[in-house]
Amino acid sequence: MQTSLRQFASIAITLLLILWSVVTAQGYAFNEIVPDVRQPGGVSGGSACPVPSHQLTSAAAIAFRWSTMLGTNPKTIITQNQTASDGLNEIEQVIQQSLAVWSSVSGTALTSASVAPLVRGSAANLCGSDGINSICFDQPDMAFTPGVLAFTRVITADQIGIQLGSGSPSTQVGQILDADIYFNPSDSLVSFSTPTALGANPKSYDLESILTHELGHALGFSHSAVWSAMMFPFAPAPGTFTGMRPTAQQPDAPLADDDRTGLRVLYHDPADTQFIGSIQGRIFPANPLSLPVSPPGVSGVFGAHVVAVDASSGSVIAGTLGGWNCQAPGPVQFDGTYKIGALAVNHNYKIYAEPLNGAVGPSEVANALVSLCRNSTTDPGWPPLQSCVVPQPGIEFTTATRSSP
Amino acid sequence: MSYTQRRQFLWVLFLIGLALIAVVAQATTLARLRFQELVHYSYSIARVRCLHAESRVENGEIWTDTSFRVLVHNKGYLPEEIVVRQPGGKFQHLHSHVEGAPEFLPGEEVYLFLSGQPGHQFLITGWAQGTFRIHRNLRSGGETVTQDSAETPVFDLASESFTKAGVKNLSIDVFEQRVHREMLREME
Repeated sequence: MQTSLRQFASIAITLLLILWSVVTAQGYAFNEIVPDVRQPGGVSGGSACPVPSHQLTSAAAIAFRWSTMLGTNPKTIITQNQTASDGLNEIEQVIQQSLAVWSSVSGTALTSASVAPLVRGSAANLCGSDGINSICFDQPDMAFTPGVLAFTRVITADQIGIQLGSGSPSTQVGQILDADIYFNPSDSLVSFSTPTALGANPKSYDLESILTHELGHALGFSHSAVWSAMMFPFAPAPGTFTGMRPTAQQPDAPLADDDRTGLRVLYHDPADTQFIGSIQGRIFPANPLSLPVSPPGVSGVFGAHVVAVDASSGSVIAGTLGGWNCQAPGPVQFDGTYKIGALAVNHNYKIYAEPLNGAVGPSEVANALVSLCRNSTTDPGWPPLQSCVVPQPGIEFTTATRSSP
Repeated sequence: MSYTQRRQFLWVLFLIGLALIAVVAQATTLARLRFQELVHYSYSIARVRCLHAESRVENGEIWTDTSFRVLVHNKGYLPEEIVVRQPGGKFQHLHSHVEGAPEFLPGEEVYLFLSGQPGHQFLITGWAQGTFRIHRNLRSGGETVTQDSAETPVFDLASESFTKAGVKNLSIDVFEQRVHREMLREME
């Protein structure tokens, strides 16, 4: 890999110019949470390093129920089957297929065995902070405004032993206690079609694509800036769908490599032997004086897109938001470090870095940035030695590649 | 790497680029609100400065209420200080996260397109679409606004086509004139 990097050093800037408007790869990102180190180490882990939100993956640990109450005025969910019961079966099949998209990715601890059988509920308002993951198609929510199609509320805890509703107490920091998916039920301009109904309803959004995206949030993903990724912030156009349709041979076909790599990082399978490669490094400004003065201690570029491209296929394998590093007991150090893990071994990769001033700006990954630190301003009584302040992302730089020593 | 190999590689990347652009052209969407729709759907439009944010639990859900000082009214009546409600937040040991809901830092100045009525919490119309961040050029002192959602092509239901339209690096004066123009059009 290093040889490959050296070979491309001379043309890196040229490539970057091409990739600048194309790759736009902040890549997969996770909903991070900093453990509450004010609590005893036994329940917080004692480290202020961010932990990605995640579901448990033991047998049937990921359970979803869905509301069979569908809006009729306006009608927002469109199925090919017209009878009520067949229509519900069709929707349920879409939900199962969307879950299978994620649970069929190879090299992760998240498998089909992790997903419990779907449960139906007849109430419209199944979604709520009750410790049960739910999908709702006809539940109004104050958060909906024009232009918002669907969203997912993900609730995590910053220490173990926290219980939400009827759920079990958390056993891990960052464990997702509840994830509820809301589809906009009240916008007369918005409807969602199952894959079989989409062709006849080209002004409708693809239910499967949007649900698969929202399930990504329910598994702990934030948005990705890779355009082909399932976790790209914007849903596919009405009448179209993301990626390819899942098949029996490739149930994860709708996902991009960026999604798969993210899932492998988030749900690491210790038995996997294929996706165990990683690339890491640091990004420095040519002029150290360009580093922010405040907060103190920033020693590298923060907030750059760093992306790994497969050298032979040219496809974006994964990206990350670079610029920070954390070793227990924390806090995060803003030293320009990036690390891309869960890469297939025996492949060559090229690494590109670009500032957050392309197709995705800092505001769109704000949560991935601001959630890295806690301090006495955000949390009274926070220990000073484990405090940090997130600097402004460095967006005014160009890049050049330096050979590895 | 030889010159020929390098050329081939650049061509491959170029074609990948075109393919990716094609993917975007087919697959990047929001239920886009045109600027006049944003103005129309919004009860009020104002330049505000973020004061502080506070999370609370209401109806069993965690919300973040962000207080803003109103600096300039562009549409609708607003008191001197307003509260804008966003889904998600932190309450005791629970963190509720809703991806895509705009977040604000104390001291930050933005233009917000707001739904709701005085006396209640406001919402931001279209979340990122109704959020316009203000950037001040330290050298010239000039100010520009950029819409949170302006960076990426979005799908326009009305025209059934993609567009990258959105407000990006627009001077404050031009932005306010545009708001004013749409309000006049709305009254006609």
